[in-house]
Amino acid sequence: MKVSKSYRIFQIINTIIMIIIVAATLYPFLFLVAQSFSSEKAIYNGEVTIFPVGFNIETYKSIIKQGDFLLYYRNTILYAVLGTIISLFSTAILAYPLSKDKLRLNKVITPFVIFTMYFGGGLIPNYVLVNSLGMRNTIWAFLIPGAISTYYVLLMKSFFASLPQELEEAASIDGLGTFGIFIKIVFPLSKPIMATMVLFYAAGLWSNWFTPFIYFDSKDKWPVALYLRQIIYGATSTNEISAGLDQAQSIAASVKSASMVLMALPIICIYPFIQKYFVQGMMIGSVKG
Amino acid sequence: MMKLKRVISALLVLAMVFSLGACNNKEDKKTDTDSGTSDSGAAATEEELDYTFGLDTTFKSDEPITYSMMYSDHEIYPYQENWLVWDKIKEMTNVSFDLNIIARADYDDKKSLLINSGEAPYIIPKTYDESAFITGGAVVPISEWVQYMPNYMNFVETYQMEDDLKQITKSDGKYYKLPGMWEVPAGTGSEYTLVVRKDIFEKAGVDVTELEKDWTWDEFYDCLAKVQNYVGGNPIWSDRWKGDSLLKVVGQTYNVPAGWSLGDGMQYDAETDSWYFAETSEDYKEFVTLMNKFISSGILDPETFTQEDATAENKFKAGETYVIGSNRTVLSMYDQGLKETLGEGNYELYSIVLPVAKNNYQTENSRLENGIMISQKALDELGEAGFIKMLRFIDWLWYSEEGKIFTKWGVEGETYTVDSEGNYTLNSDITYNGLNPEGTKQLNVDYGFSNGVFSYGGTLDLAKSMLADDLKDFCERLNSYRTIKPLNPPVVGDEDQTEEMNLIKTPLMDYVKSATLQFVTGQMNVESDWDSYVASCEANNSQRYIDMYKEIYDSQK
Amino acid sequence: MGKKEKSMEKQKRKEEVILMKSAKVPLLKHIRREWKLYAFLIIPIAYYIIFKYLPMAGNIIAFRKYRAGGPIFGIEWSGLKYFRQFIRDRAFWNAFTNTLIINFSYLLVRFPATLAFALLLNEIKNVRWKKFVQTVSYLPHFIAVVIVCGMVKELLSTSGPINAIIKAFGGEPISFIQLPEWFVTIFVGSSVWQALGWGTILYLAAMAGINTELYDAAKVDGANRFKQVWHVTIPGILPTITTILILDIGSIVGSGGVFERIIMLYNPMTYSTGDVISTYVYRMGVGTGNYSYATAVGLFEGIIGLILVNAANMTSRKVTKSSLW
Repeated sequence: MKVSKSYRIFQIINTIIMIIIVAATLYPFLFLVAQSFSSEKAIYNGEVTIFPVGFNIETYKSIIKQGDFLLYYRNTILYAVLGTIISLFSTAILAYPLSKDKLRLNKVITPFVIFTMYFGGGLIPNYVLVNSLGMRNTIWAFLIPGAISTYYVLLMKSFFASLPQELEEAASIDGLGTFGIFIKIVFPLSKPIMATMVLFYAAGLWSNWFTPFIYFDSKDKWPVALYLRQIIYGATSTNEISAGLDQAQSIAASVKSASMVLMALPIICIYPFIQKYFVQGMMIGSVKG
Repeated sequence: MMKLKRVISALLVLAMVFSLGACNNKEDKKTDTDSGTSDSGAAATEEELDYTFGLDTTFKSDEPITYSMMYSDHEIYPYQENWLVWDKIKEMTNVSFDLNIIARADYDDKKSLLINSGEAPYIIPKTYDESAFITGGAVVPISEWVQYMPNYMNFVETYQMEDDLKQITKSDGKYYKLPGMWEVPAGTGSEYTLVVRKDIFEKAGVDVTELEKDWTWDEFYDCLAKVQNYVGGNPIWSDRWKGDSLLKVVGQTYNVPAGWSLGDGMQYDAETDSWYFAETSEDYKEFVTLMNKFISSGILDPETFTQEDATAENKFKAGETYVIGSNRTVLSMYDQGLKETLGEGNYELYSIVLPVAKNNYQTENSRLENGIMISQKALDELGEAGFIKMLRFIDWLWYSEEGKIFTKWGVEGETYTVDSEGNYTLNSDITYNGLNPEGTKQLNVDYGFSNGVFSYGGTLDLAKSMLADDLKDFCERLNSYRTIKPLNPPVVGDEDQTEEMNLIKTPLMDYVKSATLQFVTGQMNVESDWDSYVASCEANNSQRYIDMYKEIYDSQK
Repeated sequence: MGKKEKSMEKQKRKEEVILMKSAKVPLLKHIRREWKLYAFLIIPIAYYIIFKYLPMAGNIIAFRKYRAGGPIFGIEWSGLKYFRQFIRDRAFWNAFTNTLIINFSYLLVRFPATLAFALLLNEIKNVRWKKFVQTVSYLPHFIAVVIVCGMVKELLSTSGPINAIIKAFGGEPISFIQLPEWFVTIFVGSSVWQALGWGTILYLAAMAGINTELYDAAKVDGANRFKQVWHVTIPGILPTITTILILDIGSIVGSGGVFERIIMLYNPMTYSTGDVISTYVYRMGVGTGNYSYATAVGLFEGIIGLILVNAANMTSRKVTKSSLW
């Protein structure tokens, strides 16, 4: 195909913009990685840029050697996988009917769902509820109360709504039940949004320290996110710091960076696998196939 | 239809899972309380206790017993199940803990959540501010129970802590936490100070050791000017803690609450026995003028008030700055850093006794520390006898001489030795805060001793026993050059008064904080902006606050 | 089942489909007819009732006096006392205004930037380069806010690289972090930097859902790339765009999401422009545990949010013909 001159100029400008964005987003990350491999001395002398100075892997060794770190990692993977499945399923079965204009009750149900985005119960009632359901200090306290994100429901709903209705009607005429249509027709058509939701839910669960902090009492249930929070934040309350004694110490910068990298890496690595579902034309192929 | 059935059965399974979980939980709780009540023995009288306790007696329960406790987990020495400290407590007292472990950064939030939802463990240590919890009835007014705690009472009597305890007494005449108690404020005297690079100061012709006996801030300024002159240009002082520690220690010498101790800005005048708002006083004016002088002359880095601690620390460790705020712990970190960059012997650190202005006082005068709240649930579930038993365990672990030495130093022979003159020595393979820097194990990380949850408060001797030599030296200089300020009379409003005053206090003090920093950094001018500053304080209801404060004080006199 | 029966059933269903589209039937009949679709909603609605609506009962303490550790629904009625407390408070309104300014500026920058970035990404021809840019651009999303803020402060400090550039051009160094007039810029800049790449994912997913035949048809009609974007891509992702925009507008008054970043970036000198509702309530509550006050403020925020989202939804229905409900 012939490419117009203006489009070629556009491509050049576009490339320049992309290079700027890559530089701006990659540099700080590389800096953190470099810091995690550098010696403390180099860090406080400000020598570290994107290349480690005084290269060593001692920091990583010491983090991983701490038996608990691997436990936290295992927990996080478990929470993320199980939680994503629960969340994806419950979000989809809510979003799908909501996307159907023919369902007259949607006029009530959609506002019923949206209302919860603006009014919550606050921490204490939620805690009391979870506790009285017997879920406190169990994995379910983490995965169930926050299973559905209304925001994601609405996004998924708008995606479902944009799917061609004819396919579903045709399937219905072919004798496929409602659930069958949902699984066999809608699901394959929705790979891009499903992939997105997997990524969003998984990333959310992966980095969620707050819910585990609220509901878990014992440290052996901690996810990595909570460990990372402890490492990075240390003492934030004035009381703690000004009380002096042993309270004013802080964790070395290299340990903070290394923990950060260790935590972010796996979730970053799943992206390429998700990415293939964002390729255009995917959908048509799957429908025809 | 099939599908619906499947959905329903799935729901049922889910419901069963939850209810099972719930059952388990309830059972757990039940056994907890069972063991509690049966151990203490509902009919136990003073004569037939199932445990030993007393001034010189180790608390020991006949039967094993478990108490639930919140635990503030420190990232430097993260919780370990197999710490020696747990084993030894169990061995000595037959008590084990059911811990709710929370990272210390979020400890206060979880504490508040647990208390509010009625799920607080029995023992709630590391409480700095208990005032939010006193009216709800979830926390035991512990002052009504301390008579059962012999070691606690003994310390109170021996070191005359009565006036100190009045500082935490609420308007109902009771107090709600067992505070940590020091013989001397902060253990060995105010520990927050400035540390200087003595080697550089000497080269610049400044002898701090002589001057510090009675120097003023202006003299200190002259010294810094000399040092700056000697090293050339750049700020020679970049401070940490967002400048809050600096403002606190300097403000105190001007009789102005500032930084960490800003509070509500009220200051007591002993001569007239009355309170006044110090933030609009002449003293305040002098205080911010001085601080501004440090900034405008380029001696003090204006980033001090906004930068991260690590940034300030790095500049000092890298040898770019020569003055920085310090306390006992961070001092040894500076030392380590400089050792790496400059090499041992090429630098000398010196904690100075701070200059004076309007008084000759040290920064701190409170001998109280964070403390322990006891949940009302403990009293309800353990019964009175069981409750007193638990208090006596707390009394031993936190307040007895034996307990204090144990939580601080560990186990004799295993972690430390003590000679005939009562000098404590850490075993040579164990390091802690500047002691035995070559040691391979850490007293807190590997053993759980000197743990902030247990180890605080105590006598001067005990506090000093663990200081490295340079800190011992500082402690002696400080206490011989500066005196300790007498305690202010307490002013406590009732619930409604406190609520109203808090509503004024937050916006008012926000404004004061903001203006103080603007005066200091030069965004506002002390002379030309003074009137508008005072007017803004008044617009923020400062007068109403002062009136209420005085009213409460007069009614309590 | 015989062939005949099957075809009859097919016929029946066809009729049903036609019926569905026909005029209104009584509600009960409608539910009975669509019960299979409605059945999907049983679990989610039960979930919403239990985990979202039940705890809302706790909001009653906005109207009742609450004591920490006391009964969770408070001890006595206090009327609108806690609402009056913040409505009469000048500092609260300062925080309120700041919240609107900060959220609105953020939206104003982030929304077009994300959309533009997604469209530009979509125009990259080299698949590897495209994947690389995408992956790299969302790295910031995974850096903890506190670390980002630490880097921002270093970058903007008087001895930092930005000021070094200013000095190199003969300017006076600016202490960005301490000046109120810079706060919004710093906040928006750092947030957009962190959210840009991640925000494109939704648009990319929506673009992947566009029927490629539409592009082919446009090409046949002689549309160049720019026209294809305008006539195919944008309309294709319009439902996603409106959904995001409506929800974003509704959350303009909310400040829970920006709390952490504000706490890390502001300081007493920048309270005048940086203090938002959540940070103000936080400082108000430290040590005093005034939950009734915080709850009253929360309700107030919720009501405004609801009004805004409704207004946005109605506008969208009129302008773009698509809306959330």
